[in-house]
Formats: sequence, structure tokens, C-alpha cells
Amino acid sequence: MLQVKGLTKFFRSPRRKTRRQQDRPTHRGKVIYAVRDVSFRAERGAILGLLGPNGAGKTTLLRVLSTGLKPSAGTADFDGVDIVENPLEVRRKIGFLSDNTGLYGRLTAREMVEYFGRLHGINRAQLKHRIDELFELLDMTDFADRKNDTLSSGMKRKVSIVRTLVHDPDVIMLDEPTTGLDVAAAEAILQFIKSRKTDGKTVLFCTHHMHEVERLCDRVVVLHQGSLRFQGSLEQMRRDTGQTHLDKAFLTLIASEGSE
Amino acid sequence: MLHNIRVVYLKEMKEVLRDKKSLIFMVLLPTLIVPLMMHFMITFVTRAEKKARTETLTYAILGAEFLPELTSQFTREKGFQRVDIAAPNDIESAIAENKIKFALVIPEAVRQQNTNSRQVAVQLYYNNAAIAGKVRDRAANAIEKVSKKWRTQRLAELGLDSPQQQKHLLNPIIIEEHGTADTREVIGARTGGILPYLFIIFCFLGAMYPAIDIGAGEKERGTLETLLLAPVPRRHLVLGKFLVIFTTGITAALLNLSSLGLMLLLKGREVTGLLGEIVESISILDMLLVVIILIPTAVIFASLLLSVSIYARSFKEASAYCGPLNFFIILPAVIALLPWVQLNWFWALVPISNISLAIKELVKGTIDYRMLAIILASSFAVAAALLTFCTKWFQREEVLFRK
Repeated sequence: MLQVKGLTKFFRSPRRKTRRQQDRPTHRGKVIYAVRDVSFRAERGAILGLLGPNGAGKTTLLRVLSTGLKPSAGTADFDGVDIVENPLEVRRKIGFLSDNTGLYGRLTAREMVEYFGRLHGINRAQLKHRIDELFELLDMTDFADRKNDTLSSGMKRKVSIVRTLVHDPDVIMLDEPTTGLDVAAAEAILQFIKSRKTDGKTVLFCTHHMHEVERLCDRVVVLHQGSLRFQGSLEQMRRDTGQTHLDKAFLTLIASEGSE
Repeated sequence: MLHNIRVVYLKEMKEVLRDKKSLIFMVLLPTLIVPLMMHFMITFVTRAEKKARTETLTYAILGAEFLPELTSQFTREKGFQRVDIAAPNDIESAIAENKIKFALVIPEAVRQQNTNSRQVAVQLYYNNAAIAGKVRDRAANAIEKVSKKWRTQRLAELGLDSPQQQKHLLNPIIIEEHGTADTREVIGARTGGILPYLFIIFCFLGAMYPAIDIGAGEKERGTLETLLLAPVPRRHLVLGKFLVIFTTGITAALLNLSSLGLMLLLKGREVTGLLGEIVESISILDMLLVVIILIPTAVIFASLLLSVSIYARSFKEASAYCGPLNFFIILPAVIALLPWVQLNWFWALVPISNISLAIKELVKGTIDYRMLAIILASSFAVAAALLTFCTKWFQREEVLFRK
């Protein structure tokens, strides 16, 4: 289970604020708030959708939760393991696929996944078994020994997903995993995410596609300008906003108080 | 710790060895290109010098009738061919057009001056910009033969018949030189500066491309963030990466050292004189000491390059930073090439320059081992400080996630 408690992340602004920035609530003095006082929970065996327009702070939030960045205030824990106090242990428990993740082009898909498996301390025999299993599951055996530079976008995304899951993390955080993929590749990935839920994993799923949210998520968290705008079930989101379509409900949430 | 560093090192090395650009800078350039260039340079210089000594020189004499003896001397000399030109005004154009290599102009007054046993002056025209040529030397040599003959005759006319007497009169004081430096030191002082320069440059170039690739390149490809989220302390990651850059830098320098050594050993036998003596002057122990002193050099370069590379947002930005950095490496390395800069306690503490000068002293065979110890200690201290900085630098959010 993931528990986020009053998480805040700000960056020092290297430049003077523009008039437009001065008007935005994310800008306070010479610091820029990317995430401000965000609290929510994600349960085991559930998929939590993380929604928000571009610049809402989703990626920064995921970076902080994955221990890539340190929080400026507040904290979060994964099954009681704190992200500030024990970042290495947190990294063992999570698998994070960022939206701009890349691959080592001169390595094969298998070598790439092996590398991260070894960094997670998995022994060779276990690692081989795990990689074979995941490659089979995602139908990747045909290109397992091809160099990453020669793979299509869909293949690359599958390699990234396997890399994210090689150490069998309890919490999976996926930042726009289907962006830029064709229908078939996106469908394979969505099916796979759904199967993680049945395995009892906690999935934090960040996307702009409301049909994916509708299909996969049990609950959603909506961020706007670094602040939490909503958390709850999809039904509750519709009810609170008075909208029947999820897209409209989302737009209503981000158009309310404090937005530009 | 060692497990993590080893995993990172092996993976990065695998990528470096699969990258053609890295291999060019690490292996091809130091092993083949420079020794090949030197091979062609040596061959060219040897041939050019032989040609300058033996080629037939075309020449013209104006006023030959005023000094027939000199004219006859040039006719008798091998390797000279006379060409007629009309007037003194044509000399410069004839030399420029390569019709003649030199011209002698003998003024009419010479005939009278010679009769009166006075000093005569003949004018020698040649292209003094042709540095490699031996035109002046060869022409002057022929003239000197006539001059010597006259000198002997004139001294005899003065009553000094014996060659011994003439010799004593002409050279009342002679200098017997006793240089305290041995041949190796003399040659090392003249040529030893180029070797550290080459080793240092190749050490830097060999490390540069892999450093950019595994720092800024990883950032640009979007793999760095993923790597930072592995359950591995960042200092382990940076040490693994640092060791790869160190390996490529030291490999490039050592390949250059071995390749140049082998080439000079093989080529040195073909040539005589200075080059042959240079080859003989470098022993196995010198080579070993050069290798040891190159180790902190490679650590310094690897730490510097990784720090720069990890700061840059892209491959292009890192390359732009490495340009000026290259300059700051070359400048202190060039110090050893300057003849008036000697290794002393001041230079022993100047990074890079001290390594450059120490290698030069090793080649000369005049290294002060106390100073070498100080150079090694100070270089390792600088290297350790830079590596510590690099490790700290690698842990800063604003460096790793710089926008």
C-alpha cells in the first residue's frame, strides 16, 4: 500500500518571475511549487489513476515517490517504508516507468533487462527464469536478442515494462505507458496492467486517455497546478462534478477555483 | 558495493566496445593513425634529406671568366649542372621557376683582388625559404674547396709551408668540448617533450567520447533516470561509470605508448643518427614508470570528463564543454615542449604539467626520484579530490535533473 502525506516539492527559480508566473499560485517568491501538500492512498490490488493536465505536477510527484527527487516537505511510504528515510528499500519495492524512459540502444532487450535485474540483486538463475516468464507473457521472445535500437516503439515500450517489473515490485508506477503506441501495442499493455491488479499489486497509472482510466482504474487522483483537486472513485468524480462523461468531469475539476 | 560497481562497469564496457566512435578514439587512433603518420613522416623526412644531399643542382654563374678556377671546381663537382642565364636580373625569376637552384655572381673586380692576394667576394643567390634544402651548404662546400686551396697557397707564399704551421696560425686556440650530458639526455631534452604530449592527449581523447556517452548520452536517451531508481547507492553507479572512462583513457594512452614504442623499435633500426639513438634511449623501466604516472592522469581526466558530462543536458552540450576543456589539458601538457621549462619543485606541483615534465625527464634519464614521488603523490591527491567531487556532483538533483 502507498500512503502519501502532505507531499510538497518546489524548485528554486533561476530567473525572475514573469508577470504571468506571478499570477499563478504555483509560484511563491523565487520558488516554483511543482507539487503542493498532496495526500492520498493507493491500496494493494487496486489501480489508482493519476490525472492532470500537462504541467500539473504528475511526473514530479512520481519522481518524488520513486525517490528520484527528494520531497521539500511531507513524505510517503510504501507498506511503511519511508521514501526519505529508506530510499534504497523503497526502490526495491517499486517499479517506475517514466514517460520519457529510454533504452540502451547497443544492448539487446534481454541484456537490458538483465542489467536492471542484476542491479536489483537477483541471482542469475532466478533472473533468467523471471525474464523468460515476462518475455513470454508479453509475447517478446521473437525480439529478445535484438538490439534495442532496431526495435519498433511498441517493442521498446514492452522492453521498458519488463525492465520495470523484472524485480517483481509490489507497487508499479506507470507514466503514460501507451503514449505513441498503435492500437494493438497499447491493448497488449493495458491487458498486462490489468493482470497486475489481479496479482495483488498496487498500480499507479498516469494517463491523459480517459477511456483507459474508465477501463482500468478503481480510483483516481486529480492534480492541477501542483495541488490535489480530487480523489475518489470514478462514480464519485461524476457525482461531484455533475457530469456523466469522465472527460467532462475532469475538465470541470481543473476549471474550478484557482485555475487559470 | 563491488557487485554493483562490477555490474555497472561490465554493462558500460559492453556498450563502449559496441560503439564504433568510442573504438576509433580508444583503439584505432592511438594504435594505428598516429604511428602511421609518424611512419610516413619519418620516411618522408629521410627521403627528403637523402634527395637534398644527392640531387643534381642546376646553377648559373655570371662572371665565370673572372674566376675560372671556381667555375672549374663546380664543373668537377658531382651533382651540379650548369645552366646559362642571360643577366643578373633573371636570377630571381629563374630560381622561382625552379630553372636553377642557385646562382653565383662574380664581380669583375675579383680578378684584380685575387691577383693582389686580397679577399674576394662572390655572391650566392638561392631560395633561403627552402628549409629542407641543402643548396647553400653544397654550394658553399664547393667554394670552400677553392678557398682552402688559395689559403694554402697564400700562406706558403708568406713562408709557411708546413700544414702544421698553417693550422696553428689559422686556429691559435681550439676548443675541446666535454659535454657532461650523455647522448640520451641530449636527445631526451630535444625530443622528449613530444611523448608526454601525445600520451596525455590520447589519454584524454580516449576517455572523452565514452564519458560523453555514458553521462550526457544517458541523460539524453532517457535511461539515466531509470538507472538512478535502481536500488543502488549513487556513488556505486558513479564509480562504475568512472572506471569505464578511466579504462578507456588509460587504454588509449597505453596503446599509443606500445604502438609508438613498437614502431620506433622497428623503424629505428632502419634509420641512423638521432632517431635511432632516441629509440635506444628508452628502457623497459622507463616505460613502466611512464605507465604508473599515466594512472593518476587517467583518473583526473575521467573524473573531470564525467563531471562535465553528467552536468550537460545533451550529447551536444557535453561536446561543447569538452572543447574548452581539451584546451585546458593541452596547455599544461605543452609545457614540457618548451626548452626553457625544467622540472623543479614548482612545476612538480602543477597538475598535468608535472606529469608531462616527469615523462620528459624519464625519457632523458635524469628523473629525480624524490620529485617523481611528489608528482605521483600530488597527482593522486588531485585525482582523489576530483573523483570525490564527481561522486558528490552525481548526487545533486539540480545536476541530474537539470532543465
